[in-house]
Amino acid sequence: MPNFDGGHYYLTVIAPIAVDVVVEKNGMERAPIQMVRNALANLPTALQTKATEHIGINSPFSRNTRTHFARFAVIEDVMYNGRDPEDAVEIAVRGVNPVLPRPQDRLSCPFLLFVADFDAARGDANEVKGYLRLLWSTMEAELREVFQYCLGFEKVKDDESFARFIQRCQIETTMPFNDYWTTAPPLKSLSTLLVGVPVAGLAIGAWLARRGHSSWAGILGGALAGGIAGGILSYFIVMTQAKRPFPAAPNSDLPSVLKALYLQQHFTRLAIEAQGASDEDLYQRFAVFLEDHRPLEAAPRQSPGIIRS
Amino acid sequence: MARVLDLADIQGNILQPYGLPKARYIFLNIEDSPKGRDAGRTFVQAIRPRITSSLPWKSRKSYPQGPSGRELPPKPQVTFNIAFTFAGLVALGLPTRTLMSMPAEFIDGMAARASILGDDFLCGPDSLDAWDPIWRDTQPTRVHVMLSLNAQMKPDGTAVEDLDHETAWVVQECAKSQGRVKILTGHQPDLNLPYQDTSVLFERDSNGALQATRKEHFRLSDGFSDPAFDGQYPPETEKAAVIGGGKILPDQSWAPLATGEFLLGYPDEAQEVPVVSTPIEFARNGTFLVYRKLHQNVGSFDRYLRDQAAAYMQVAGIPDIGQAHETLQAKLVGRWSDGTPLMAAPTYNEWKAFQQRAVEAQASKDAAKIAAIEAAFIDFKYRTDPDGAKCPLTAHIRRANTRDALDPTGDSKDSQRWNGSVINNRRRILRRGLPYGQSDLLSPSDKGDHGIIFLAFCASLFRQFEFVQQQWIQYGLDFNAGNDTCPVVGNHGPEAKFVIPGDTQVGTRPFLCAGLPQFVEVRGGDYFFVPSLTGLRMIGMGTVDPT
Repeated sequence: MPNFDGGHYYLTVIAPIAVDVVVEKNGMERAPIQMVRNALANLPTALQTKATEHIGINSPFSRNTRTHFARFAVIEDVMYNGRDPEDAVEIAVRGVNPVLPRPQDRLSCPFLLFVADFDAARGDANEVKGYLRLLWSTMEAELREVFQYCLGFEKVKDDESFARFIQRCQIETTMPFNDYWTTAPPLKSLSTLLVGVPVAGLAIGAWLARRGHSSWAGILGGALAGGIAGGILSYFIVMTQAKRPFPAAPNSDLPSVLKALYLQQHFTRLAIEAQGASDEDLYQRFAVFLEDHRPLEAAPRQSPGIIRS
Repeated sequence: MARVLDLADIQGNILQPYGLPKARYIFLNIEDSPKGRDAGRTFVQAIRPRITSSLPWKSRKSYPQGPSGRELPPKPQVTFNIAFTFAGLVALGLPTRTLMSMPAEFIDGMAARASILGDDFLCGPDSLDAWDPIWRDTQPTRVHVMLSLNAQMKPDGTAVEDLDHETAWVVQECAKSQGRVKILTGHQPDLNLPYQDTSVLFERDSNGALQATRKEHFRLSDGFSDPAFDGQYPPETEKAAVIGGGKILPDQSWAPLATGEFLLGYPDEAQEVPVVSTPIEFARNGTFLVYRKLHQNVGSFDRYLRDQAAAYMQVAGIPDIGQAHETLQAKLVGRWSDGTPLMAAPTYNEWKAFQQRAVEAQASKDAAKIAAIEAAFIDFKYRTDPDGAKCPLTAHIRRANTRDALDPTGDSKDSQRWNGSVINNRRRILRRGLPYGQSDLLSPSDKGDHGIIFLAFCASLFRQFEFVQQQWIQYGLDFNAGNDTCPVVGNHGPEAKFVIPGDTQVGTRPFLCAGLPQFVEVRGGDYFFVPSLTGLRMIGMGTVDPT
């Protein structure tokens, strides 16, 4: 299930936006999709450069320490890619009139896309619910502002109903992007099993046929049947194994990442300041560094929503 | 088959640097009215016969002989070239369809690209206030036309008188337009001077005579490793010219870059024809030009290196402070102060030995030995130095021209999988330009008006110049160096640093240069379209026809 991989949950949500109402805002009539876009335009982003760190307005997602990445977008409709290519000869033979317009796909309404990548241990629905409740408890006002024109949001009263609303709109994430495994995860090799099972099937097939006093052709057929059965079994083993999520990469949860970014910057400073220091001095400085920055403890660390290294 | 270019149609200084010691840049504005447009065209028509093309001169080494054995003309006293900003092309009344097919970054102009180039870094949006008045976009009269006059010099180091004669001719032609084509002032330090002058820097030789150098105000040698591309050189000299200047193929041999990287209308390194204005006859053999006035804080540069040299001497285990100072400077740049690349001479002693070999080669008058020394300045790859033990990964020259350093499969043990300079091939620029102003060697100061007029030709400002500036000069991710910027020309915030990797082979420790001051600051500039002689004729005659 690609929704969950490497200790991260990849949430993809598309919430339908109302089309049949007109919103009054400051005496002006506005469509819901305009209001949603307006709300998104006013939603603060994370502080992505040093220059923005001093503005003091951070993304509401920075109020929790589970969100690695979150994004909203409005999908107004599917893009029309033009007519399918046609072969002039084929059309003539089939008697199709090329002047007639072809059907075009359309969405019944615009959708608000919400994607988030957050820390999760198991990746089950309850964990997702827990995350959504955490969002509601830390950024209810912003979520209301963004989601208020979505169909079904009128039933949202509290964290429970918000989680229910979002989970109803969830679709499967088919291609998550897990950036934290920089080397191959420690997975068991399946090669022996994949070769072994068909070979064993081959042998068992032959042995059974032999026990049944079959002719050489019968034994060969038995081996073939056993081999094919083994091959099919191998295929299912691969498919089942491939669907299992990767284990979490070491220290890839958000608090650890924030701690690592913090340590990286402070250690660089130490390395600069201690250049050419005597062994004794270096020892002292490192002791102070450990005392001040506590590498094995959660705090101090970089604040969520500050993107810097 | 080698490409043969129409040298007479391509403006000079593009294919080969003029190698003239003096240059003067005059900037014009054309009145935005039908009468202004006509006056502008009249001016272009008047100037056309003076324009210097790429045809070879007698003294050019790469062209021993002219086409069909013709006797080559002597090197001119003064050359004359022209280029236009987008606003200039609008003022000259080019058709909308031609204008709208120009690339977006050229239409924007350099001031509008400040956030991409990092030019707004030092003091935010107000950074442009530090620009020379002529380049500020608040100016009511924007730069429309750039005239470049390169000139020879007299023995006393001043430009030949022809330069002033040609300048006077421009003044006179502008006067004929009744103020509709006017020369713009606003260059520091003399805001009334109607041009920006540049000159090589000089040193006195043992006889006290002035010798032109390749140095700029940091007293570093500049202008090596210009790209070599298809059609730039005649076949007999191309083979030698591409070594170090061309691209590195997967088999590690050198080949010329595609013509379309530097001239419009030809296929480029992606085997595409880059965005080019219509009609093609108008754009072909033209190119784009970057003009940037870069102020050099020579005081800060000198002081910082002195400050760091002692610490570096200790960490790197260098015996004396003078050597540490030279080595530190070389590590920042990637070349020693005389231009010898670190890849050819990684240590101070090896540099001195290299210089000795160069002296011996000159004395022996052995052409092969001299050529070998000359080649060493540009013929190198970074394959043998993946960790930057010789040339730091973020040294200036390793950023600006990454050669094979970013080969995505370069660390493969299987040499069949190597890809040479593939990442670098679409990011090359032809650099021209000279220093301006005077700086005092004995008491170097940031104050005053001195620096370098950086000129670069490329077919796509966006893909070549802007990419290198934004991603490789002002950022470090491609070199696994995070936010670190170029130690020489990059923006240096309060936490700017530069890492000199140690050498694990000999056990030297890395050195971190911290607190880098700002060494280089932009004082203005713009993007220009450099038409071919055909394109220029169309502009002058008003016959650019995109239909």
